Amino acid sequence: MSLTSPLFFLFLVFTLLIYFTLPRRYQWFVLLAASYLFYATGGIKLTFCLLLTTITTFFAGLLLTRLEKKNHKKLVLALVLLFNFGLLAFLKYYNFAAAGLNIFLANAGYTLPTFSLLLPLGISFYTFQSAGYLIDLYRGKYRAETNLAKFALFVSFFPQVIQGPISRFDQLAPQLTAPHDLDYDRLKYGIQLMLWGYFKKIIIADRAVVVVNKVIDNFAAYPGSLIAIAVFFYCLQIYCDFSGGIDIVRGAAQMLGINLRENFRRPYFATSLADFWRRWHLSLGDWMRDYLFFPLSLSKPFYKLGKKTRKLFKGKLGKIIPTSLASFIVFFTIGIWHGANLKYIAFGIYNGLIISFSIVIEPYWNRLLQKLGINPEGRFWLVVQVLNTNLLVFCGRYFTRAASLGAALQMLKKTFFSFQPNAVSVQALLNLGLTKTDYLIVLLGSLVILGVGFAQEKGKAIRKTLEQKNWAVQWSLLMAMLLVLVFFGIYRQGFIASEFIYQQF
Amino acid sequence: MMTSKQWLRMFLFSLILIALLICVFNYVTDPFGVFGDHFFQWYSFNFTKNPRVAKIAYLDRLHEQYDSYIIGSSSSSSFSVELLNEYLDARFFNLFMYGAYIADVTKTVQYIAEHYEVKNLVLNLGVVNAQKYDKGSDLLTDILHARTEGSSLLKFYGKYLFANPAYGLEKIQSFKRDQYLPQNFDVFQVTTGAYDKSLRDIERIQALPDYYEKYPVFLNYPQREYELDYLDDFIASVAEIKNLCEEKNINLVVIFFPLYSEHARYYNPEQVEELYTRLAAITPFWDFSLHRLSTDPRFFYDETHFRNALGDMALAKIFGDENKYFPQDFGVCVTPANAREQAAKYKTEYIFDDSNYTVEVPVLMYHHLAQTSDGPLIVSKEQFAAQIEALAEAGYTSVSLQQLVDYVEKGKELPPKPVVITFDDGYASNYEIAYPILKEYGMKATIFPIGSLIGKNTYKNTPHAIYPHFDYRQAREMAASGLIEIQSHSYDMHQSQKYEGETARVAMQPLPGESEEAFIAAVRADFARSRRELEAQIGKPVFALAYPLGKYSDLTEVILNQMEVKVTLTTEPGINTLIKGLPQSLRALKRINVDENTTAEKLLQKLGR
Repeated sequence: MSLTSPLFFLFLVFTLLIYFTLPRRYQWFVLLAASYLFYATGGIKLTFCLLLTTITTFFAGLLLTRLEKKNHKKLVLALVLLFNFGLLAFLKYYNFAAAGLNIFLANAGYTLPTFSLLLPLGISFYTFQSAGYLIDLYRGKYRAETNLAKFALFVSFFPQVIQGPISRFDQLAPQLTAPHDLDYDRLKYGIQLMLWGYFKKIIIADRAVVVVNKVIDNFAAYPGSLIAIAVFFYCLQIYCDFSGGIDIVRGAAQMLGINLRENFRRPYFATSLADFWRRWHLSLGDWMRDYLFFPLSLSKPFYKLGKKTRKLFKGKLGKIIPTSLASFIVFFTIGIWHGANLKYIAFGIYNGLIISFSIVIEPYWNRLLQKLGINPEGRFWLVVQVLNTNLLVFCGRYFTRAASLGAALQMLKKTFFSFQPNAVSVQALLNLGLTKTDYLIVLLGSLVILGVGFAQEKGKAIRKTLEQKNWAVQWSLLMAMLLVLVFFGIYRQGFIASEFIYQQF
Repeated sequence: MMTSKQWLRMFLFSLILIALLICVFNYVTDPFGVFGDHFFQWYSFNFTKNPRVAKIAYLDRLHEQYDSYIIGSSSSSSFSVELLNEYLDARFFNLFMYGAYIADVTKTVQYIAEHYEVKNLVLNLGVVNAQKYDKGSDLLTDILHARTEGSSLLKFYGKYLFANPAYGLEKIQSFKRDQYLPQNFDVFQVTTGAYDKSLRDIERIQALPDYYEKYPVFLNYPQREYELDYLDDFIASVAEIKNLCEEKNINLVVIFFPLYSEHARYYNPEQVEELYTRLAAITPFWDFSLHRLSTDPRFFYDETHFRNALGDMALAKIFGDENKYFPQDFGVCVTPANAREQAAKYKTEYIFDDSNYTVEVPVLMYHHLAQTSDGPLIVSKEQFAAQIEALAEAGYTSVSLQQLVDYVEKGKELPPKPVVITFDDGYASNYEIAYPILKEYGMKATIFPIGSLIGKNTYKNTPHAIYPHFDYRQAREMAASGLIEIQSHSYDMHQSQKYEGETARVAMQPLPGESEEAFIAAVRADFARSRRELEAQIGKPVFALAYPLGKYSDLTEVILNQMEVKVTLTTEPGINTLIKGLPQSLRALKRINVDENTTAEKLLQKLGR
């Protein structure tokens, strides 16, 4: 069930009605039922994978709390993580790996079979969420959940199961099972957040994607300048689609009285690539930091490595190298997390290299700035950094959107070596599948998002400010938002002009 | 300051308000005509958007005006409602719909048989109906009316109430752009249910190369292979319709429509044979699908749609109309006895040969003559005599415009080397100089006098002297000879700027700032007067018009065609190709200008091309 489908809207309304009419102690059960119903609409068979992860993690959790010996705990943790990540890896990466291996195995006259595997919705998200729970238990952060149904709700909570945010057990689970009274404030904020999410998704992302698909799926036919424009639209599309989706998820949860964590913090204002990843898909970044980066940095091999580098390089550099390496590994992993394809590995390496390299050169860079008389805290340098970061992100997007690594490299090559700026004309843009009105809507919509983001960066609470306005202002804004959503969103499709009807006959 | 509860109330109110606004807008604009289109009453727009729905909505209210129906895919539109009314003494409505989905046709027939008075049903089919059966689309532009479908009315009206407002907006915008001639948003003629073919009926169709240039699809005809996957469904549907017609005592006429010959290659002849034998076992049907005319693209609009000309011929054949031209071997009634043999046509290679139904006809254009020439435009008596003598010696036979019409409409052959001689404006010199010479050689000619100048030697009611124009007595004398035809050059749409100033209408064109409506009225009134006076004074029908200054437009052609002007003439140079059965070959005829410098030799050269 897509978050933008009318079915989801109805589903949410009914869930809310039941949720707030039943006695409070059954509320969490309504959520569980709704979550499984929601998930099952994506395919009954796939629900099995979700259950498998839920059950294995649940019992492993119980076991971890009971086991005394650290080695035993470690074994249980390793086995269950291996199983769940194994399942994820098999479903997500097996075909890719098999195809790769087959190239080599072909010489030996042997081929691995490939399967047409359906990926369960949100498997990356709920696997990571469950793994986080188990690692926390291992670390003794909290006690295991003893009610399987309640735990199942934590793994499957419906608005978030498909695309996150990846939540922590100690933050989410208590909210899910606590009774919630109908709260008009929460309802209002939830609706507002959802409207904002829909605005990003169906007004902007759904338009931007037209240009993106048109150009990038047939990039050979376009000059570098139009490819760059398409990649720029892709940056817009992916941000609006993903963060808009998260807004819808968070808004829906908020209506139910549940606060989900933030997942985006205006990443286009980031001052470095590392900063970008602290603002983009935060819940994944935090997960990686807590469950990969820290354990890695504190592990024995890294400790030894640190010793060696400190010996080899005097001063700061020696200390930085292990951190930089750990960062590289984290981003490499994030790359692979995105999907099974060489391009994602390249994407991981690209981010990892830039970030770990910047860690290494940062001290030298600061010294250089000082010599040049540039204030690293000043507004000028801030703007330079933001632009530079966006440029780096932009280049990285070539990898995630292109059909393959080869295509990404060719697209980059075209962008840098045959840009052909003259090829950009009004007609050329109109040939990319959007009308003038569409471009105008994308432009104005992006400006609104940028403006809102800017105000938020400045620490302004926009909704609080609006609340203070009189009803006419509030109603105008609401009607404007709804009308835009209805006429430029919902009714964007499903119209066939007469000339196209009659043309066929 | 507003509480959250108030905000939520406002939110709900806004949602309901927007939903209501959309419903009201869709109800008022009613782009599919499902609510009766009370405000615009623009049914041709509604039919264009979805004929399945809009025609039924229209008939539900007005079916008492009709008692017979044509149904099938859009090619059915080429069967003339007027001719059917004449042949069957009925009141036909063309209920065709886009696409040839027999599932929709069957449901629609069931619906009208149940709810309307139906005396005759013309079912227009093709082999293609067994290739696709049910589109199964749920688009607003494709679906059947819920009443026809037998589905939920609530859901149906709900769908149209919440239709994309872009449809209503399009209707409003189109309404503003609406003109007299059909545009792609209003392609239907409401009262007949057929396409408004006013433009296609006046399209000049002559030589094949010109046609290819205009319709390149025939040069590069798409190659496909069609499997008759729905043969069983097709047969079952026709059987159902047949039974229903017997039960309700409806006269059923089944027609297989004409195909372009290359289209016939899409089908597997064995499958066609099965279809023919099985269908013939259920009902006899008139098969016009393949004939040597199928190789001539000029009888087709595009890959799959034949022109009215073939539709008229088919109906003339079915109903035995002796006054209309149709090749004797065009169309066969298929019965179990000949089904196999008829299906074999799909294996036959048809070779294009238009020699026995086309002819090249040059039309000569003269104006004023004089005893001695005074400038190249005025032909001297001597030169004219030499030209006519040369024509006679070269074996040319002059023919009248009536003969051209008879050739095209009735298939009456023309003499060898036909030529048409015409004179514009109606100068007295035509009577004094040309007529005696023509008589001497027994040559026919057509003269187009300007109505307001007949018998004048000054410009209308002014004292300005002009070349004298012959009067009605002289015109009658010439016409009575049987050699001279008098036709129209407009009554007063060839005015002189010199004498009338800026407001003169020098040709059949709108004046600056003149509305389309006013111009149409002016053309109608002018030609009606020209025809009325000529017919009253001379006693012969007026059916042709030479355009003043040769200036014409789609609009003038449409108006004149509606006034049953069968031949129009321009000043564009060239030789015409006439085609039997294709009235468009008589439109905007080209003419060869003859002046004092055209020696007899040069003239023959021009004619010999």
